[in-house]
Amino acid sequence: MNRFLNPLIVVALWPSVALAQTPVWNQVGEQAKNALQIKGDAARGAAAFVPCQGCHRKDASGRTSGAYPRLSGQHATVLIKQISDFQSGRRINQKMEPFIGEHVLNAFEIADIASYLQGLPISATNGKGPGSGVSRGNELYKKDCVECHGSWGEGNAEKFYPMVAAQHYRYLLRQAQLIRDGDRRNSNPDMVKAIKPYRDSDLEAVADYMSQLAPPDKK
Amino acid sequence: MKDSDIRHRFKPDNGFLKIAAIMTMGWTFPGTSAAADAHTIAATVCIACHGDDGNSVIPTFPKIAGLQEGYIVKQLRDFRSGARTSEVMSPVAAALKPEDIAPLAAYYSSRKMKPGEAVDREAAGFGKMVYLDGNEESGVPACIGCHQAQGVGYLIYPRIGGQHAPYVAHQMKDFASGDRSNDFGRFMRAIARRMTEEEIQSVAEYLVGLDER
Repeated sequence: MNRFLNPLIVVALWPSVALAQTPVWNQVGEQAKNALQIKGDAARGAAAFVPCQGCHRKDASGRTSGAYPRLSGQHATVLIKQISDFQSGRRINQKMEPFIGEHVLNAFEIADIASYLQGLPISATNGKGPGSGVSRGNELYKKDCVECHGSWGEGNAEKFYPMVAAQHYRYLLRQAQLIRDGDRRNSNPDMVKAIKPYRDSDLEAVADYMSQLAPPDKK
Repeated sequence: MKDSDIRHRFKPDNGFLKIAAIMTMGWTFPGTSAAADAHTIAATVCIACHGDDGNSVIPTFPKIAGLQEGYIVKQLRDFRSGARTSEVMSPVAAALKPEDIAPLAAYYSSRKMKPGEAVDREAAGFGKMVYLDGNEESGVPACIGCHQAQGVGYLIYPRIGGQHAPYVAHQMKDFASGDRSNDFGRFMRAIARRMTEEEIQSVAEYLVGLDER
């Protein structure tokens, strides 16, 4: 009987199996789901963030070179999603991989770190673009980016859209290239579609513009 | 505890005699009537390698003065369990009683690590850059992230400011090869593998003269 049943089970489960293999970009994994439900503790987060300071700096301002992003002031939801995506392999960063695995951070620590970082002040001395792309960048931003990332580059915590204002130029540019080229696997497909036709000079312009935006007022 | 007990615990078996023989300073078993507590062990056993007050003279033996208390406890336990191994230290740690560990850790943690002076100033200068910034190209995090300004350490991350260069370099190589594997989160193994020989030697040289300000 099993012999006949097995194919039936496979057929019956097929749609859900297929879905599991192609998660939508903002479908959160187990770890993030748990972390999102936990009320993070900023004081514990400060201690858990210590190993991250080697790259992201003590004030979480990152590197102006853009090698490591600024994390201070970023939405906790965004941070939780990204950390969870790194842990599940949906977003890959070999430099960070040894320091962010599930053997290092559990859901509680992720929630704590996210809560801590969200409350940190945002430095305006970020790595900025050359400035020459600002007007073209402004145009592109108004056309393709503003709907999700907001008029001030403030993003949207509920929808997992990151704050992009005052982020380091080189980091913005690198991520935009990865997303356009399909190399950042946890990207919003709408964004991939929107910037697919962008040339490198377009990405440079829009990254330039976002890097020049002042840190948004924190609610 | 009687003095004869402490002698018995560190009596030369388990290859301990061999180790005692290779130690250049040498030490004799306690023959006085000093109380058999942490201070006695420190003054009669640990002193041979780690020096008076935990500031060793021989640079291949680490300074243990001023290390974080929890760090010392963990290392002694790891030597006893085999999670960390050392020809010299493993048998010594094995001879300790579990109840000796906390007072020993408290004692050495309360001492001050005395810095030395960097010999190779050029290397120390490069080492300072790595200590403060890491290497963005190869993904070496800045040491300062965990070990803090002036290498004072923080909780589980030990003080390294003022430590002997040859000891530090040796540990980094052991982390890189995996011979030492009792690091939190496998962090030091990952970092040591990314560091060049020059970076390791230079950071070690920089740490020698690092003092708490």
